[in-house]
Parts: sequence; structure tokens; C-alpha cells
Amino acid sequence: MDAILTYIVNVVSLGGTYALLALGLAVVFSVLGLINFAHGELMTLAGYALLAGILLGVPFWAAVLAAVLVGGVAAVIMETTAFRPVRNANPATLLMTSFAVAMLLQVIFQNFISARGQAVPVPSLFTGSIAIGNAQVSIIQAISIVVSLLSLIALKVFFDRSRSGWAIRAAADDFETLRLMGFRASRLIAIAFLISGLLAGIAGVLWVMQRGSVDPLMGLKPVLAAFVVVVIGGLGSISGAVLGGYLLAAIEIALQTWLPEGLAPYRDSLTFVLVIAVLSLFPNGLFGKRVAEKV
Amino acid sequence: MSTLLDVTGLSVNYGGVQAVHDSSIRVEEGEAVALLGPNGAGKSSTLRAILGLIKSTGQVNFRSTSISGVACERIVSQGLTLVPEGRRLFPQLTIHENLMLAARHRKAIQSTYEALLARLPILAERRDQPAGTLSGGEQQQVAIARALMSQPDLLLIDEPSLGLAPTLVDRVYELLADLKADGLSMLIVEQEVIRVLNFADRAYAMANGTIVMSGSAAELRNSDDVKHFYLGAEE
Repeated sequence: MDAILTYIVNVVSLGGTYALLALGLAVVFSVLGLINFAHGELMTLAGYALLAGILLGVPFWAAVLAAVLVGGVAAVIMETTAFRPVRNANPATLLMTSFAVAMLLQVIFQNFISARGQAVPVPSLFTGSIAIGNAQVSIIQAISIVVSLLSLIALKVFFDRSRSGWAIRAAADDFETLRLMGFRASRLIAIAFLISGLLAGIAGVLWVMQRGSVDPLMGLKPVLAAFVVVVIGGLGSISGAVLGGYLLAAIEIALQTWLPEGLAPYRDSLTFVLVIAVLSLFPNGLFGKRVAEKV
Repeated sequence: MSTLLDVTGLSVNYGGVQAVHDSSIRVEEGEAVALLGPNGAGKSSTLRAILGLIKSTGQVNFRSTSISGVACERIVSQGLTLVPEGRRLFPQLTIHENLMLAARHRKAIQSTYEALLARLPILAERRDQPAGTLSGGEQQQVAIARALMSQPDLLLIDEPSLGLAPTLVDRVYELLADLKADGLSMLIVEQEVIRVLNFADRAYAMANGTIVMSGSAAELRNSDDVKHFYLGAEE
């Protein structure tokens, strides 16, 4: 029973972070048709901003807020400087641009900060754990669950209630008709990047608080997972990104918890085998649209 | 009557292919004007060029102000919009969301929305249903309603009867007649030549990217050339 409770807590906590990251990717994919591989670096940047805030002696809550905002602002700068000039180029050019931006930022982090991980002194308030029944849940995990759920609810309200939210959902289908509704492409794309960056900022802060450190390549693994999530959920599907996030976390943590020790080195490979199994049953992802194939 | 839309010498070039050549079209206030022509005549390109969705040369004036080279989204805010070919509703969004997406001026829009709900009961009955679940005829009505949410003075409509059964086409034209009676001006691209000539005040006929004929709807209806080319009648 405790094992199951611990499992659920772990899945909801990791899945929430994956969902936030995957949503960030999905929002940008909706408006631009781009999988932004530099998304992980926004997360890393938020991590460094949090560290800088703490080192400067800013109150912890203000450092967190600043870190999240840094993610959002950096995403908008990334869009205007790197992606806007190649917006109408073919998708491969956009993809290569995102790789270039990711590598550039990694090198900047390595050369101007440090190639090694930097410890982030999280206040001791957040380092304990609470008991739920006989299971122990770390406070950071509990915070991460609450914050990711609140962020997802806020996003749901945005997508269901606001004109910009509807437009971002619609953009994946038909950008031109949106222009007929009076939407400026540049403004909508900037809003999508801002949301995506804020989500990366939130995910970055949660990630750094759980790990207690930040390093130049920190964003790589989670953003790869988020990419897998977006593919499982169905490219361009926003609800798919959320459910995919929890599904991938459920698979990963199940393997982590119950896989015999001898098979542990194959954990990541097994995760991907399951992902391939999902995709062979649902080639467009669980919630993706059927796309007519051009032959 | 004052001139609402005045297009002179419009040309559209798609990578070396001349889709529209030196075309001139005028729409007066309160008028319904038809733009006829076979597939590939350049009708849709003309509408898209007027709205700034594709590049063109020539002069386009709306209410005596030049809108040549102005971005589509700014043209729409001046009171000109398009019901695109194939409706192009956003299938995953509800009918309500589709309509409200086009509502640019929050304050004035509630009365427009309520007037539309009164006129088209389907909008109210199925407002929370995804637009993709509607039939073609219903979608066309929603597409027209959505365009009206931007409170246009002139509506460009691309092939309103395309793919619809004749009874549904009747329904769409009844709606257009209501709107015309309210004073809305329209420029309608249509392949259902008889239908649109019975509805419109004036018409232009296009072939191979140029305007080959223009006049009152009655004149075109009785023209032997129109009968021959578009209606397949024997000479």
C-alpha cells in the first residue's frame, strides 16, 4: 500500500514537471510548427537565475519569481532574435536553428559560468519531508505537485476562456484564417513563446529545487523526455501533452521501482520500447490528428 | 451611393504564373456583386489579394483609403472581411469559441452576437459543440456568422455553395438576402452562376485571370456568352 502511495506521489510529481515542459513545446509547435530543442536551455537559464537571486541575497520567493520571469523573457528574446528571421523557412531550418540556439546557450553557460554543476542552496524549509500514512513525501515533491497542478489549471482557463488561448489552439489548424479574425502572427507567436518560457521557468525551478544543483546540460534530459511526451500525446495536441507527461512518468517510475536490479541498465531502453509500442498502436500519438500522408 | 471598394489594375503573380491580370472591380455601398468564372479563373486569388493575404500589384481602395500592401489583420479591422472557401472553421473549437475568436471589439459585440443567435437558432442550440461536428450547410452558416462578428461593412464570400446540397444552398442564400436587406455589401465568388445572378445587383465574369465581362446581373444573365461559357447552353 505504501509502495503504491509512494509510486503515485512520484508519478504525479515527475509527470507534472514533464507536462509543464511538454506543454511549453506543444504551445510553440501549435503556432510555429517547430519543436524547440532549446526549450531545455530556458529551464537551465531559470535555474541559474534562481541561483543568482539566492547568491545576491534576494528573498527566496522573489528569486523564484525572477527565475520564472527570466524563462519567459528569454523565450521571447529567443523568438525575436533567432526564430523570427527564419519563420517562413522550411521546418528543417527552424529545427536546426533551435539546435544551434541550444548549443550556443550551453557553451555560454560552460564558458561564462562553469562546466561543473553549481549547488543551489535551497532554504531548509523545503528540504524536509511529511508523512502521509506510512509513506514519506518530501516537501519539494509536494510543492512540485501543487505548483504543476495549479499551473495546468491556470493554463486550462487560459486556453478555454481567452481569445489568445483559443487562437493558439486554432493556430495549429489554420493560421491564415486567424489573420482574418484580426490576429497578428507576430503577436500570437510572441505570446506562445512567452507562455512556453514561463512554463520552462516553472519546470526549471522545480527541477533545480529537487536536485539541489544546476549545470549547463541540465535541460537536456528533461526536454528529451518532454519531446517524447509531445510525440506520445500527439503533436499539436495540448491535452495530449498533459496526459502524455503523466503517462511517461508512470512508465519511467514503474520501471524504476519494480524492475529487477539486473535489468536496471536497460531502464531507459525499456521506456523507449514502451513508447514505440504506444506509437505503433497510435501512429499520430494518443490525441493527435490523423494526418494524410503524402506519398 | 458611395463607392466602398475600388480595385484597379490588380495583378497577382504566383512564381511566374499570372493568376490575375489587370483586373478592376468596384462595389458600391449596399450592393451585392458577383464574381463569376470557371475553376482557375483567378476569382479566389482576387479576393485574397484584396484582403492582403497574397502579394499583388495595382491599387485597392476601401472607403477611398488605400489598403494596398496593408496587412490582412489591419484590413479586417477597417471593416472588410472574407468568408473563405471551404468555410475553414476551427474544427476543435466550439461554435461559441469560433464566433468569439472573431470578436474584435468586446463592447459592441454582445448585440451582434445576440442578433446572430436570434437569426440562426443553430448557433444557440449547439454553441458548445465542436464546429467540426456540424454538417456542411451548418458550417457555412457559422462561417458567415463568424465573419459578421468582426462587424464588417463589406463581406467577401468565396464559393458559399461549394459542396452543399441545393436545399442547403437555399438556406445560405436566404441568410445572405437577410444580410443584404440589412444593408451589408457583398462581393461573392460563385460557380453556381444562375443562383448568384438571381441574387446579385451586378456581376463581373473572369476567365484566365482577367475580367472579360461586367454589367448588371440581368445583363449577364441574358448574355449569350455567359449562357455559353458558364451554363453550357447551346448557341
